[in-house]
Amino acid sequence: MSALQGTAGLPPPRAFRAPVSRYDQTSALWLLAPMLLVLLVVAVFPVLYSFWTSLYDLKLTRPHRVPFVWFDNYLVIFQDPLFWSSVWRTASFSAVSVAAIMVIALLMALLLNEEFRGRRFLSAMLLVPWAIPYVANGLMWKWIYDSGYGALNGALFQLDFIDKYMVWLGDSHKTLPLIANAFVWKEVPLAAILLLVGLKSIPADLYSAARVDGANVWRRFAHITLPSLRPAFMLVAIYETMMAIRHFDLFFILTEGGPAEASHVLAWHVYVETFRKLSFGTGSALAYIIALVTFLLAFSLIRALGRRL
Amino acid sequence: MTQQFDRRFGRRDFIKASAAAALAGSGPFLGLRHAHAADPIQFFCWSAGVDQVKSHVSAFEAKTGLKVAYNNAPWAQYRDTLVTKFVGKAPLDVLWVSDSWLPEWAEAGWLAPIDGYKELTQYNADVDDFSTKSMLWKGKQYGLTYYTDYMAFFYDAEKLQKAGIKTPPKTWDEVTQQSLQIKKAGLAEYPMMLSMARESWLIEFLSAMVFSHGGRFVEDSGAAVMQDRSKGAHAALNWIVDAVNKHKIVSPACVEIGELNGLKAFSSGNHAFALLGRYRVRTLNDPKQSQIAGRVKQGLMPAGPKGSNATVGWNRFYGLTTQAAANKEKAVNAVKLIEWFGGKAEGKYAFQKLMFMDVGSGFAVKPLFKDQEIIKAYQSYSDMAMYEKQQALAKKKDVVSPWFGEWDEANGTAWQAAIVGKSSVDDALKRSADTWNKLRKQA
Repeated sequence: MSALQGTAGLPPPRAFRAPVSRYDQTSALWLLAPMLLVLLVVAVFPVLYSFWTSLYDLKLTRPHRVPFVWFDNYLVIFQDPLFWSSVWRTASFSAVSVAAIMVIALLMALLLNEEFRGRRFLSAMLLVPWAIPYVANGLMWKWIYDSGYGALNGALFQLDFIDKYMVWLGDSHKTLPLIANAFVWKEVPLAAILLLVGLKSIPADLYSAARVDGANVWRRFAHITLPSLRPAFMLVAIYETMMAIRHFDLFFILTEGGPAEASHVLAWHVYVETFRKLSFGTGSALAYIIALVTFLLAFSLIRALGRRL
Repeated sequence: MTQQFDRRFGRRDFIKASAAAALAGSGPFLGLRHAHAADPIQFFCWSAGVDQVKSHVSAFEAKTGLKVAYNNAPWAQYRDTLVTKFVGKAPLDVLWVSDSWLPEWAEAGWLAPIDGYKELTQYNADVDDFSTKSMLWKGKQYGLTYYTDYMAFFYDAEKLQKAGIKTPPKTWDEVTQQSLQIKKAGLAEYPMMLSMARESWLIEFLSAMVFSHGGRFVEDSGAAVMQDRSKGAHAALNWIVDAVNKHKIVSPACVEIGELNGLKAFSSGNHAFALLGRYRVRTLNDPKQSQIAGRVKQGLMPAGPKGSNATVGWNRFYGLTTQAAANKEKAVNAVKLIEWFGGKAEGKYAFQKLMFMDVGSGFAVKPLFKDQEIIKAYQSYSDMAMYEKQQALAKKKDVVSPWFGEWDEANGTAWQAAIVGKSSVDDALKRSADTWNKLRKQA
């Protein structure tokens, strides 16, 4: 029994609904039809068609033999050790990147939430990495990491941290962390803004009440700020995880999956299968697997974090 | 006036006209439009020497009265673009083809052999042997050469002189010894420049190393031999791994250095030796583009222990599409265009000479080695005798096959893994050979 019923003893009010005539329904359908048609053509059809393609052994360079292989492409993918190593690399890259983004973005948001001179300027500057296109970002980091003339080597050498120029992207142990660094640099601003919006929405009364109760800064942060930011954290976590799993641009520009297989992640695997080997069957199957994994991950994140909202 | 228009061109007329226009516009997509001989010759190239191509097309149009629709795409996307066009049945008559794609495109039925056109095959007599062989697939010839070059060994003569080295290295062992000497003299940290980044150039570098070590990736029968320890591929990869990790004469960053960055690094004076495409010598000795201009000499490719001065040569050629060959009249016009570019125009190898003089790209037609203008131009920045001598020792890639693209991907990864110490030389070559055998079996 609802509170309203208990209070007034009346049945709950029904939402007002204007009667909809058959003519209105038909008109609405006709008016929506063009957009529905466009959606069918540009969204639904490609999705279904690519699934259909994933059931064929389709190679563009072998146009005369395209056998229907049921789910063989999926089986081949799951039996490929390179696929599993790329899954592992993608998972490490995503975990490290998303964790770093969350921490740095939170610190930035906390800083920008305070009143100080130059805050507006700093906020504007913060948006610069976000405004830079991914390709430009990749090229910029390629220059920075270059082993011959890169800014990173130059700075470290001049500051006497290194005695000779180092190999960065060519070192298979450093490649993935360095790409993650470039990814974090690009993604932090958006995450910081989302968290800042969350911070701004926390009622000031809560902090005042906590102060009256004698809560120190850390307690206020742990018991008010962090729990209140949970929806924003969830949004950032889901968005950035999806971005990290599907990220391709930096891998393409910085290393092309190398050296050896050091940066061969899932998105790169899809690219190689589809556009280098021109194996559209396997490429489509891989794309479906990634889409499914991303969906399940987002779903579980929403379930895990959303339950406590 | 408006009323008059309304009367003559009402809503129904507008709908009819729109539908007609849409149908006409979508004709090519619906496959309604058939090619006619009167249509322009569809000529597709990658975006190199665009001005030179355009001017030669104009001369062709003026001479023959035929129309040519010239289009291009960047080299990096060329294969994908063309495959998509072939699959989509886009109109294509004549196009530039890389020897690496020939088996793939010929097997797919996109390229037509030119053996039946005597006006084209007559030029074979003038062309370097490896170049003609690069245009053959299953005994049939698929084009006329547009540009041919090879992987060359360059050295900075001044650095060698400063290090007290009198003659450039003749063997890969000497390269190691001289590099150590140069390194000891403090003239270069990594005296030898190798580009080992995964890009389309990588197979050319690897093939040059393998051939000069007397090796092969695969035998004529098609069986992989790269994993055989007694064959040159093993010795070649071993030399690179030692040069990077043991002697430290090649930068460990070589796995991220592509051909273009390698050129920049060498031309900025960071190295004493380099493997680069022969045509790069023009840039290397140009004071506007290079800090070591005037000091770069070409030497014969150093030989491995059981090897020779052989190198890898590559060929790009004019191909005729099957759709053009299927239309008799169109084929005649397309063949005329191929001859104009790949053969003689007005009795001369005009286009190959133009490209050499303007851009520095190499040629396969031997008579041009005797052309006084070419000799004079080339001698101003390099050595014509060396150019010709090394070209005569060039071999075509032995891995060109319908599955080349897929294997190349795995092979590049395997070689890089050995270089960065992620796998042994044996494992890397075995992995590459296994991939080759698997793809061959599948095909």
